[in-house]
Amino acid sequence: MDEPSRIDIADLTLAYGSDIVLDALNLSIPRGRITVLAGPNGCGKSTLLRAIRRLHAPKSGYIMLDGKDIARLGSKDLARQIGLLAQSPSAPADMTVEELVRLGRYPHQSMLQPWSARDTAALERAMDGTGVTHLRGRRIGSLSGGQLQRAWIAMVLAQETEVICLDEPVNHLDMAHQLDCLDLVTRLNREEGRTIVLVLHDLNLAARYADKLVFVHHGRVVASGGPDKMMRPDLIAQVFDVRAEVITDPVHGRPLCIPLGRATGQASNTAPTKLGV
Amino acid sequence: MSLAATFDVPQLTRPAPGRVLAWLVAGVLLAMLGSLSLGYRIYGLGQVWTAFFAPDGSEAATVIAGLRLPRALIAPLTGAALGVAGTVVQTLSRNRIASPDTLGLNGGAALAVVLASTVFGVQSLTGLSLAAALGALITSLVVFGVAASAGGLSPLKIVLVGVTFASLSHAVVEVVLTSNEAQLQQLLFWLSGAFVDRPMSHVTTGFPVIALGAMVAFALSRPLDALQADDATAQSLGVPLPLVRGLAFLAVALLTGAAVSMAGPVAFVGLVVPHAARHLVGLRHVWQLPASALVGALYALLADIVARFVIFPVEAPVGAVTAVVGAFVLLVLLRRRAA
Repeated sequence: MDEPSRIDIADLTLAYGSDIVLDALNLSIPRGRITVLAGPNGCGKSTLLRAIRRLHAPKSGYIMLDGKDIARLGSKDLARQIGLLAQSPSAPADMTVEELVRLGRYPHQSMLQPWSARDTAALERAMDGTGVTHLRGRRIGSLSGGQLQRAWIAMVLAQETEVICLDEPVNHLDMAHQLDCLDLVTRLNREEGRTIVLVLHDLNLAARYADKLVFVHHGRVVASGGPDKMMRPDLIAQVFDVRAEVITDPVHGRPLCIPLGRATGQASNTAPTKLGV
Repeated sequence: MSLAATFDVPQLTRPAPGRVLAWLVAGVLLAMLGSLSLGYRIYGLGQVWTAFFAPDGSEAATVIAGLRLPRALIAPLTGAALGVAGTVVQTLSRNRIASPDTLGLNGGAALAVVLASTVFGVQSLTGLSLAAALGALITSLVVFGVAASAGGLSPLKIVLVGVTFASLSHAVVEVVLTSNEAQLQQLLFWLSGAFVDRPMSHVTTGFPVIALGAMVAFALSRPLDALQADDATAQSLGVPLPLVRGLAFLAVALLTGAAVSMAGPVAFVGLVVPHAARHLVGLRHVWQLPASALVGALYALLADIVARFVIFPVEAPVGAVTAVVGAFVLLVLLRRRAA
């Protein structure tokens, strides 16, 4: 990719107390693309996402946004540039959808600059884009899982940031809503050119939606690149400890991983012997 | 989204918040009038008018202007302060059954009063009130400090530390009181909270503190809105969490301290009022905080009027009335939460 990257991470080390979670990690996030972070549980991918949004201060190293160290940006300034949908966000069940989406306008307001026409426009656009306008007066406690997730995404959209980070946005959603959610994110990316960073658990969803796929393992980036380059049985075995076959998805032409069993010798209900009846 | 979906979605319909606030203001004014005219003797509006604008030295004029006016002012001020404090505490702790009581502030104030009275021999009401305010302030600082030093001001930690301090101070109060039976009677009345027999000077000292606390809280409206979401969300919206929590805590301490110093620990007002306010105007603090103040004022005024009649001709302490109502509401809330 020729254009300068949006976010450059250099030598990033991050720790909880003395436990090192990210270890001298290097990564660049391309502008206007969808980057997906994937890896096994506890590999540090969520922590990396939180670090990009400066919810964790690095022990050492830098995260540069358009060439500027994010550690030097003001909290509202940063909030106008990078939005984050946390992994399991929560808000009072009796909050209405509109009240929730409004929260996204927080970084654009100040004591001297209260709610403006621009805020209203952003609020309406965010609800429109996620299809929750008709739910605006509903309490979020009464929404279905898919509706609730859309309302939260609307909240992040209302923030009008160029970079949007989503931490496992399709967890707890059924298949149809997973697709809805990721199609919505793709549309935002394609139509508005926003830079998207996703943490996804499902490798096949990751391969299908990512422009750039990043494998994180033991606090380091093992490999990164386009899905075609990344979805290799040896890499998958190394990162996910899964023996897999990779075929081409006949519909989308994307690589598709068929897990066969554990890669290491551990007890595995291995290759599908014919389940003939 | 199909078009049909737009028709059968039950939306929440509320009257405009501004209109609700206007009605509440009218209600508070009416209740103040009631507080002036209703009691052991019931005075007509004419007599109330006379007492203020053409004082004739009659018994009625003296009672209305001298005895009933202070409580018709102290009751709404206390209620408003505790209502706003309760709303801020519930947002801060993300806990709908939290209140200044749960944070240990009422307990700290009560402990300070008992200690001032028994150990330092403070007798005057002003002295005891001062002790109450100090007690609430010190307790909030201690609770804030301990919770912060225990690693981050998480909602759960604030409440845990608060509850610990609340029970600790109640225990100490009990011990001190049982060993000082002589003062038991006097302190018991104060400890359940009352608006009766308070001089006007309480209003003039309490009002500026409450106004300041309310202004700090109101200025925090938008960050408090964002704090209703989880920490990660609030932070990624750019809310400076420690600063906002610290200021909000300060507002709560000012409001509770001033309220307790005027009327004693009036139980459960800070617990009940925020629920009513949210129900009326929703979850945006720009509306929720003024609504809490007005609902609190109305609630305290009505409870004070009721307290004059429940064991007529003797007055019940207003704190007992709010405690009974509050306990009932708490049970309903807990039941609903369990359901």
